[in-house]
Amino acid sequence: MSLGSRKKMWTVAFLTAAVMTTASACGGGSGGDGGGSGDKVKIVFSYWGSDARQKLTEQALKKFEEKNPTIDVEGDFSNWDSYYEKLATKVAANDAPDVMSIEIRGLSEYAGRGALADLAGKVPSADLDQQVLSSGQVEGKQYAVPTGVNAFSMLANPSVLEKSKQKLPDDKTWTWDQWINLAKQISAGGGGAMGAEYNPNPAWLQIFAAQRGEKFYDGNKIGLSVDTIKAWWNISQQLIAAKAAPEPAKSAELLTAGPEQSLLATNAGAMGMWWSNQLNALSKASGQELELLRMPREKGAPSAGMFLQPAMYYTASAKSEHSAEAAKLIDFLVNDPDAASILLSDRGLPTNSKVLAAVKDKLPPVDQRTLAFIDEIKGELSPITAPPKGALQMEDILKRNTDEVLFGKTTPDAGAQKFLSEANAAIAG
Amino acid sequence: MHESMSISLSVTPERAVNANRRREALTAYVFLAPWFLGLFIITVGPILASLYLSFTDYSLLEEGSWVGADNYVKMFTQDDRFLTSLKVTTVYVVVSVPLQLAFALLLALALDRGLRGLSFYRSIYYLPSLLGGSVAIAILWRKLFGVDGLFNAMLSVFGIEGPGWVSDPDTALGTLILLHVWTFGAPMVIFLAGLRQIPQSYYEAASVDGASRLRQFRSITLPLLTPIIFFNLVLEVIKSFQSFTQSFIVSGGNGGPVDSTLFYTLYLYLKGFKSYEMGYAAAMAWVLLLIIAGLTGVNFLASKYWVFYGDTK
Repeated sequence: MSLGSRKKMWTVAFLTAAVMTTASACGGGSGGDGGGSGDKVKIVFSYWGSDARQKLTEQALKKFEEKNPTIDVEGDFSNWDSYYEKLATKVAANDAPDVMSIEIRGLSEYAGRGALADLAGKVPSADLDQQVLSSGQVEGKQYAVPTGVNAFSMLANPSVLEKSKQKLPDDKTWTWDQWINLAKQISAGGGGAMGAEYNPNPAWLQIFAAQRGEKFYDGNKIGLSVDTIKAWWNISQQLIAAKAAPEPAKSAELLTAGPEQSLLATNAGAMGMWWSNQLNALSKASGQELELLRMPREKGAPSAGMFLQPAMYYTASAKSEHSAEAAKLIDFLVNDPDAASILLSDRGLPTNSKVLAAVKDKLPPVDQRTLAFIDEIKGELSPITAPPKGALQMEDILKRNTDEVLFGKTTPDAGAQKFLSEANAAIAG
Repeated sequence: MHESMSISLSVTPERAVNANRRREALTAYVFLAPWFLGLFIITVGPILASLYLSFTDYSLLEEGSWVGADNYVKMFTQDDRFLTSLKVTTVYVVVSVPLQLAFALLLALALDRGLRGLSFYRSIYYLPSLLGGSVAIAILWRKLFGVDGLFNAMLSVFGIEGPGWVSDPDTALGTLILLHVWTFGAPMVIFLAGLRQIPQSYYEAASVDGASRLRQFRSITLPLLTPIIFFNLVLEVIKSFQSFTQSFIVSGGNGGPVDSTLFYTLYLYLKGFKSYEMGYAAAMAWVLLLIIAGLTGVNFLASKYWVFYGDTK
């Protein structure tokens, strides 16, 4: 008997310990919300990016909390690769951050699936660039407010050009053929540098198509013709064949390695295509003053095809219990010069004219040049539209099919057909 | 006889014994309760939920609606990438598992010859098994077999200009197979234990009869080792069919170049988390379960013809 009761005692002791451990774990979790912060409302702001961006963002959030002592903002930071996986899981678990950063290709996905709140009338937007702002609309509702703008453009490394005794061309008139020839001459120049590097970014194809009068996205369909896709691949094929751009295997490695490891940034390549807000990072990595240039054109192109794209958007969760506070944070981030003077052009150049005027002089020289460049090309730009649902997959689909063609696994004709059917299936689904 | 004797001799009446047993059983269940809770909440529950989801078009962001067997039908009739992923995974399993087991057996045989410092070598060779599935090794692999990687640097000494092994669609899967073969440590340790089980007297008798070493291996070692080989085979087939990390890291997360390293589980992940087709991904998970169960079944059936359990004959 005594043995039995001792056993029982141990059982009870063990179970009590187990229960207490679980209970205290739960308590720890919920304690963070209420206790400690008093009457403060806590909202969560999710974003992705580099360490530098995290530092800037934390500073800006601190400033916001200073100005709004009743609101407590928790920054939910992750790197780009895992950002959407994390966000989608949180949305699925009804635990969506109150304010979410989303880029243009994810906008329709999230807005169309009812995850985002309409911000019209909640976030003041009178001073924002109205055309850029309209890109944050899906089916007439303002689900997203752009953080700032970028242009996909040609970057050139003047020191590499000099070494191979080539000159920067006049980017107002240059054509793709001239660009290819220049790249060939640089590679042949014997300086050991490549003329160009290949980039599978759909933005390049979008610009190229616009120069031929075609839209990448035509409503809920892909508006590209087989001929345009083939002609676009042909540019890369010519470059690779002439060794004016690295072979596809090398390119694949460069792309996984990231912008700072690109040929342009390591002074091993003369020209590459990037978003304008990457100019800063690339210039730093190369130690050179890189030049921003217009994209080359097709002969007789009706338009330059270049466009401003919001680097990302601020959106608010449709299920947020603190939508007023969420709107306040977005308002601060886009309309308050205090926020802009911390964030500068990290999320693209601000589109709020008043904010821009206030922080213009604080911008580092690189950003000033970007600003001047965007001002200069403003008249030539095509309008921005938010791509349809499924656009998040477009880069992968385009890259996979481009690889198949460049590695010689399929013919350009078959590849273009396959790309079109895959891409159309992705945005129809 | 003895048992019934002891019971009839004991002073406790039968009812008390039963009550005692019941109490003991209850105690056992109470002790098991945390484990059962875990099993049902974090294993069985989600498994059943995924079965349900596999018949819906659940997207993670929205509730799904019932679509019947559509996901399963689509997989085999309309999804070329699904078939590609099946093909890639099958090639990977069929090539890498036998290679890995052969390599493991070879090293186990070498180590079994009474080497000094055996435990040291055993640990050293086991190390890759611990590391092989890790992110760090996958990243190392990417560097090692890159265009300007160490491997090509070595080749260039002999005047050979190697391709970008991990970034060329013709060789990328080969590097992953090599990575898998390299993690031979786990089956090797099991082989070593199996070799130790074989009575030394068999070998002594065989050498007295004048059997060569090769003959001894073929007629004694191999037959007596077949249960171990079988165990390792089943285990490794299951494990390698579920490989994910290697291809995820080496390909940069997309199964590239040109889908040449698109493992089944990687495609499942891409479907669920990149294209927001969680219902479809759930269906894929169930198909994977059926495939693995089927393969294991075939393995067991076939084992009747080649696995030799000493005590049955």
